[in-house]
Amino acid sequence: MRQNDVIVIGGGLAGLFAAITAAKRGRQVMLVTKGVGAIAIGGGSIDVLGYDATGKPVRDPSAALGGLAADHPFAILGQQRVETAVQTFLGLCEAEGYPYQGDLQHNQWIPTALGRLKPTCLTPLTMNSAILKAATDVTVVEFEGLKDYSGRVMVDGLRQCPGYAKNYSLVSLKTDINDGRDLTALDVARWLDSDSGQAAFIERLTAAVRPGSVILLPPVLGTKPDYRLFHALEQATGCKLVETVGLPPAVTGYRLRRLLVNCLGKLNVKMIEQANVVRGIVENGRCTGIVTGNLDRERTYRAESFILASGGFFGGGLQAEAGRAREVVFDLPITVPANSADWSKEKLFFAGSQPFAKFGLQVDGKLRPVDASGKLLLENVYVAGKSLAGYDYCVEKSGNGVALATAYQAGAEA
Amino acid sequence: MKKTTAVIIGGGATGVGILRDLSMRGVAAVLLEQRDLAYGASSRFHGLLHSGGRYAVKDAEAARECAEENAVLRKIGRHCVESTTGYFVRLPEDDPAYEAKWVVACQAAGIPVEPVDLARAHRLEPHFSERAAAVYEVPDAAIDGFRLCRQNVLSAKRYGGKMMNYTEVTSIEQQNGQVTAVKTRNTLTGELGSIECDIVVNAAGSWVGQVAGLAGIKINVIPDRGTLIAFNHRFTDRIMNRLRPPANADIFVPHGSVTLLGTTSSPTERPDDFTPTTEEVLALIDEGKELFDELPRYRLLRAYTGTRPLYCADPTAATREISRNFVILDHAKEGLDGLISIVGGKLTTYRLMAEKISDAICGKLSVQAPCRTAEEALVDDIAPELMQQAKKFFPTAGVELAASRLGPDLAETVQRIQANPAKKELVCECELVTLAEVETVAHDDTTFTMSDIRRRTRMGMGTCQGTYCGLRGLGMMVDNDLARGMTTENLLREFLETRWNGIRPILWGQQMREVELTRGIYGAGLNMDGAVPDETE
Repeated sequence: MRQNDVIVIGGGLAGLFAAITAAKRGRQVMLVTKGVGAIAIGGGSIDVLGYDATGKPVRDPSAALGGLAADHPFAILGQQRVETAVQTFLGLCEAEGYPYQGDLQHNQWIPTALGRLKPTCLTPLTMNSAILKAATDVTVVEFEGLKDYSGRVMVDGLRQCPGYAKNYSLVSLKTDINDGRDLTALDVARWLDSDSGQAAFIERLTAAVRPGSVILLPPVLGTKPDYRLFHALEQATGCKLVETVGLPPAVTGYRLRRLLVNCLGKLNVKMIEQANVVRGIVENGRCTGIVTGNLDRERTYRAESFILASGGFFGGGLQAEAGRAREVVFDLPITVPANSADWSKEKLFFAGSQPFAKFGLQVDGKLRPVDASGKLLLENVYVAGKSLAGYDYCVEKSGNGVALATAYQAGAEA
Repeated sequence: MKKTTAVIIGGGATGVGILRDLSMRGVAAVLLEQRDLAYGASSRFHGLLHSGGRYAVKDAEAARECAEENAVLRKIGRHCVESTTGYFVRLPEDDPAYEAKWVVACQAAGIPVEPVDLARAHRLEPHFSERAAAVYEVPDAAIDGFRLCRQNVLSAKRYGGKMMNYTEVTSIEQQNGQVTAVKTRNTLTGELGSIECDIVVNAAGSWVGQVAGLAGIKINVIPDRGTLIAFNHRFTDRIMNRLRPPANADIFVPHGSVTLLGTTSSPTERPDDFTPTTEEVLALIDEGKELFDELPRYRLLRAYTGTRPLYCADPTAATREISRNFVILDHAKEGLDGLISIVGGKLTTYRLMAEKISDAICGKLSVQAPCRTAEEALVDDIAPELMQQAKKFFPTAGVELAASRLGPDLAETVQRIQANPAKKELVCECELVTLAEVETVAHDDTTFTMSDIRRRTRMGMGTCQGTYCGLRGLGMMVDNDLARGMTTENLLREFLETRWNGIRPILWGQQMREVELTRGIYGAGLNMDGAVPDETE
């Protein structure tokens, strides 16, 4: 039977990156996951810190990390560890042939399907917003039948952003997908994975745009982490291309996931998918194993240390009922306000951070869970990603950044 | 200045019923609604078309009216009513003496009531409590308040009736003790206007006191809060009532793919006190689980609150004790001829209420035409050829639903898909609403907000509560230049925040996941609400 040093619970960005980090240290790693996590929702850009606690845009995330509350995961890690995680991630992407751009000292403003700009830190080359910022002529590409994306919404929104009053034009292109289903960006991306799809698209796009224009399009440039199609399109059209953020499924997230899963394979990390972890086995304050329970039977997996990257309420790592919340695998308590009206604000948006969004596990400096008094609960379990308390990634734009930085730390400790 | 004979204030079931009735009798009428049709109690209730059983013991007259109107509405409002039948279930802790009294009272009121063998009842409705001691079947039904109001207006329009939504009345003008006009304000744009008229009908439901107040007249109406829960599943095929004196949380109503449970009852100051609380929801579940043991484990969809306009000559009475019957007040008695108010009542008897007040108005106007609202269907049935055509384009399960929702608008929707097959795509997968349907409804000149589209199509009423259809619906409105008077940002905000109002009090379980998905998309992903950078950055 395989002997594992480390078991990672969760296959989102945090779990994948933690597994890679631990495996690179020479640890024998196994990863168990129920699904793909929020990477299919949020996408492949790495937000680190877009807004400070007052809602003001952050120019330099590195410098702004110092201003965070003490219980924020970044504050627990400190600026240096976040910097190291970011560098490691950039190095990994480069080594895998799908380099990312950006650094921790600058935010980029990427366009979204609402025609808004969003601050993020690292992006794939297909989301280089500096190109859009510098453009005079912008062609917004829609796909016939892609209901999740309105070029008009995009253009109307961008026009209202200071500095984005440009010459916009709209182009609607056909795909050759005709299986009768409604289209998503993922369907279009899969079509563009095929040689025939690429050839047809290059021809149609080239005919529809003027050279020198900047082409804004939904995230459809293939599902694989490589830039071949991207470069081929730039060459054929004589234009620069920028992918935007849209509704799930987030194709840019799938690409990043694929890159990381490829990497796990090279590092001999065993990945068990569709595995629902039902409980942890704890003896004397140490976890000795986890139990998965699917339809057939329960299975126990043992290891020396464990990385809990099972996500928040969305990912399923945390669960709430009326008046209470808990962490699911180890049944760890989550501190919540007694009065349910204090869990959230009257408005969902434009209201700053939501109290419930900050619910999660409190941890020590090594990211191990502690109780409300600071007492260590599990000495060999390290928490990464959205199970952690203290940050509202939707408001501060920090989700993938916290996932990467805490995963790197957990992977280095476990 | 515009001119009409009668101005009706209030776009709930009563108001639209009056608009239809007067229009059919040839009286020129305009209905003014401060928000959208069915904004008040006509949508914020359990959607139960009463058999009368609930009132049989306490209020024989109300019970008889319900029984009669129930039969009428099944006939004229076929597309608004789902003829489910209903069970009255007595649990062991409920008084058997009440059961006996109730059966006699139902028979006296003309309500067909049949005892149901317990084994059979459990076979047909497997989820209700095994503890049940007795079950009776009555002709309760489910009714869609949004659609009922809309189809009354569509019917009225054929006879020249007019409806203006998002129009509130700011004053009632009078001369020598006679109503002469109303002044209005558009609640979206602020635009002012006025309409000359001889009659003002105050059918403002919970707002009836405020409207009368515009003319300096006092009406003692107590808005009474009622909170309800929508569950994500249809776990009963029939209306389920507790067989006991009416109390909280004793009615379950299946509607399409969901089930509603209501209600609570507590007095409030404000007619628009529409924010449900967690305490109310937990109390409903706690009480409701007596009839459905597994209730605490069922997935919730949202909670919502309405206010009942309870009219009371005696302000000290407890709200459940006040009659659900209606009263017509002719304010000529107070020195203002032409102003008539209608207060109290319930949705099941809205048509009868409209008939009575229209009789009174026609009396004043010396109009002889009789009421015909009980004979003519609200909307014509869809021609079989059109249904055949529609079946080629709609998802199989969606044709009947779309036909019922759209009524006369189905033809236009089918044409849109014929012209461009891509329009058969689903904007709302939860409720199977096509892009063509949303476009048809959005082009109507009384559609302004995405919530208006929701009320007319059910877009955004399903499991995802607007998360996916929000951006798609916005795209449709922008692409068609239909964002009239509202910015795209406000269109989306209004849509998502009204959904949140119903989720906030049930923020746990799968609802919490759903909200995190909504925030993940519109907050983290699309950055709907983050500040944009200065040009210098």
